[in-house]
Amino acid sequence: MLRALLAVIATIIHSVLVFGLAPLLMGIVSKARARLLGRTGPPYLQPYRDLAKLLRKTALIPDTATQFYKIWPFITLSATAVAALLVPSFSFGLITAPLSDFITLIGLFALARGATMLAGLETGFGFGGAGAARDTLFSLFTEAAVLVLVLTFVLLAHTPTVDGIGIQFRDGHIGLSVSLGFAFAAMLCVALTETGRIPVDNPAGHLELGMVHEAMLLEYSGRYLALFYYAAALRLMIWMSLISAIFLPFGLADSSAMLTWPGGLVSWGVKLIIGAFALAAFEVATAKMRVFRVPEFLGVALLLGILSSVFLFVATKLGGT
Amino acid sequence: MVCYSRVVNQYLALSIGLPGHGFHLAHDPLALLFLAILAPQIIATGLGPDRKSVAYWFFIAGMVLTVLAAEAFTLLLGFELMSAASWLLVLRGDRKPATLYAGIAMFSGACLLPALFIPPGGIAFSLILLGAGAKAGLAPLHAWLPRAHPAPSAGVSALMSGGMVKVALYILIRYGFIVLGAAAQPWWGTALIIAGSASVLIGSLRAMLEVELKTILACSTVEHVGLIAVGLGIALRAKALDDPSLAALALQGALLCAIAHGLFKPLLFLGAGAVKHATGTSSLDWLGGLIRGMPKLGGLMLAGCFGMAALPLGPGFAPEFLLLHAVINAAGTGEIIARIGFTALLAILGLSAALALGAAVRIIGIGFLGRPRSLRAAAAEEAEQPVLFGMGLLGILCIPVALFPGLILLLLNPVINQLIPGAAQTPLGYAPAPLATLLLLAAGATYAALKRYGTKAEREVHAFNGGFGKPPAWLPFGDPVTQATGTGFAEPIQRVLGVAILGVKTIDPGELYVLDPLRRLNVQFTRAAERVRRATIRQRLAFVFAALVLFLAALGFVQGA
Repeated sequence: MLRALLAVIATIIHSVLVFGLAPLLMGIVSKARARLLGRTGPPYLQPYRDLAKLLRKTALIPDTATQFYKIWPFITLSATAVAALLVPSFSFGLITAPLSDFITLIGLFALARGATMLAGLETGFGFGGAGAARDTLFSLFTEAAVLVLVLTFVLLAHTPTVDGIGIQFRDGHIGLSVSLGFAFAAMLCVALTETGRIPVDNPAGHLELGMVHEAMLLEYSGRYLALFYYAAALRLMIWMSLISAIFLPFGLADSSAMLTWPGGLVSWGVKLIIGAFALAAFEVATAKMRVFRVPEFLGVALLLGILSSVFLFVATKLGGT
Repeated sequence: MVCYSRVVNQYLALSIGLPGHGFHLAHDPLALLFLAILAPQIIATGLGPDRKSVAYWFFIAGMVLTVLAAEAFTLLLGFELMSAASWLLVLRGDRKPATLYAGIAMFSGACLLPALFIPPGGIAFSLILLGAGAKAGLAPLHAWLPRAHPAPSAGVSALMSGGMVKVALYILIRYGFIVLGAAAQPWWGTALIIAGSASVLIGSLRAMLEVELKTILACSTVEHVGLIAVGLGIALRAKALDDPSLAALALQGALLCAIAHGLFKPLLFLGAGAVKHATGTSSLDWLGGLIRGMPKLGGLMLAGCFGMAALPLGPGFAPEFLLLHAVINAAGTGEIIARIGFTALLAILGLSAALALGAAVRIIGIGFLGRPRSLRAAAAEEAEQPVLFGMGLLGILCIPVALFPGLILLLLNPVINQLIPGAAQTPLGYAPAPLATLLLLAAGATYAALKRYGTKAEREVHAFNGGFGKPPAWLPFGDPVTQATGTGFAEPIQRVLGVAILGVKTIDPGELYVLDPLRRLNVQFTRAAERVRRATIRQRLAFVFAALVLFLAALGFVQGA
């Protein structure tokens, strides 16, 4: 009973923090990026101001839009929000933990992506269609790579839930291995693609021809655009929390032990900030790829994922278990 | 004397049929499951105009007879009845694929006929796999399916894609697990997995690249048959390797996939027929914006595509989930080569899941959203009431499969116990009902937040379109060439993946390596036969004389020995 109550409280804290701080994380990345380029950069709270501004603006509905125009942003945001509830942040053992099967999570990302692609095709103009087509192309490789990575995690942790994998990796003395190194590299490639960052896509780009994610949102404005922006911020938060929960789970709390919560919060916050600066540094140091170079980049991720499983098979064969 | 192998112990003998033989019908959980898969499709398609055709009812009778057959003779009779009636229906739609279809149907029959009567073993299973696999559209014998299934009217297409391939898979399950079950070898499952994964890859890729709506759906059927075959293969292999819990998991996935596919695919085919009826074409490159003229049909098609894309909270996700977990479990133990193979299979399944999402988005986004690409698409009117009613029925039946797959799996328990005795059922790790609640909660909170903090102001304007100006008045929907077409949408994937797998001309490998050599062989045989026919009287006499000499020589040789 107490456990369940603590889990509920932890889940509430988790949702408040994740939903509340997602734009801030975006702000930190933009600020860090600008500073590395020698500019002052926008204030940390700029994403909140942008969202507030968009909410106040009149929504301009294109005359070629269909009755579903207003529904897609809701589906994208809701699916992303459910995914955000499933991925542990500062603490394991949330009330949603039994639902957090990795494959369900992949499905929720796919649902959000599908709604965004339909939003791009909604008004029937070239850029949206091109963006949706490119997004489909990238998703082929990311889904294949993530599924192979799930295999590696399940083989090591013997459980398919994100929560269970994180707990096993924190307590189970998995140790550093070549396998996990490959998996980490592959996961980073996938995360960069899924969150639409350089080198795959440039969230700050202004040239329609080079856009992927932004191109699908070109015909959206006002509060509907705000929903898409917020979903993008949430997605960055989810992927950073996911990588932290699986590959860097040390210090994260357990919902049943309340005393570990402050440590978990600090640990999670530090990891997010380090992750934001690392992302900014990487983005400054790299150039955006041509669209048809991206499949090669993701092909490498897929290969690394398969190699991480194969290394595990060889290790068990040699270990004789 | 007619010899037959008894399939089911208790049966009902009807005194019609061959003299002294009759039909033997029986029902067991497996047969009832497949009847339950067939029933909604029969009702939904029976509401349409096809019910006036006699061949349609013979087609249905053939399917039902196959599923209820208690022994091999009745099974084969039903199967052939189904093939012949569906051939007539295909012929009525289009002559060209009908010949190909008849050829494949004969091949299936020719493989099944000996297989049903020879003793259990590897040869019998191989023949069953070839015969039933060709009928179900398993690679490499799948190339006929995307040609023949779109040919007849929408209702028959729906029944062929949703029902007939299931009946072929039913034969595969019936013989692989029950009749030949005692002699099962692990390689049976491996063969099924390899054929299934090739079908999944080729089917999903072609579904992404094709332009005709019905052909897209038929290619997607190849993909789903492949998924079911992968599940059955893993189950068969695990059963032979004595791992009943993995076998039960894979079988759950395969059977649930058959149920879900039997609901959303007929729905989509009926919708494609209605689109063709309303606009005169089903090519995505000539459609667009249909949802304005046909909102109800558009909504139902969206629901069907939701299932086809295997998205969570849709009917297609639970089977995909179970199958992926079965593959992950299968990769967990065993020999290293098999484990690497299952890892590659997992990558293929991920790739094809994303391709299926892309294909579904393409159907809705290009065909139903956006601007009309032709005047007929702009003037499309809502589909007729019976079609909408049939689609609605299938759509409503999708809801329990989508939201309560755990309950459906409970109902499947007798079937799984029948196929894999002593299997332990693992609880489903995917719970759509709480997820749906969370999703509704999130959507409601978003709506409330927008209402509370956002302005309600809205204005209809000309689309931004990257800053291009308003089109002239004589182009009411703007310039049609400035929006992505079905071909254009698939271009990046054709460039990256299509060229590698289907070649520059996008020819199906099943066509290139199976059907084309057969066609060439056919031409050569025809030429040889023609040469014999044109022989002069002297040549013919020489043939007869040579044959006589050879015969006498052989006789003398045998007697001498």
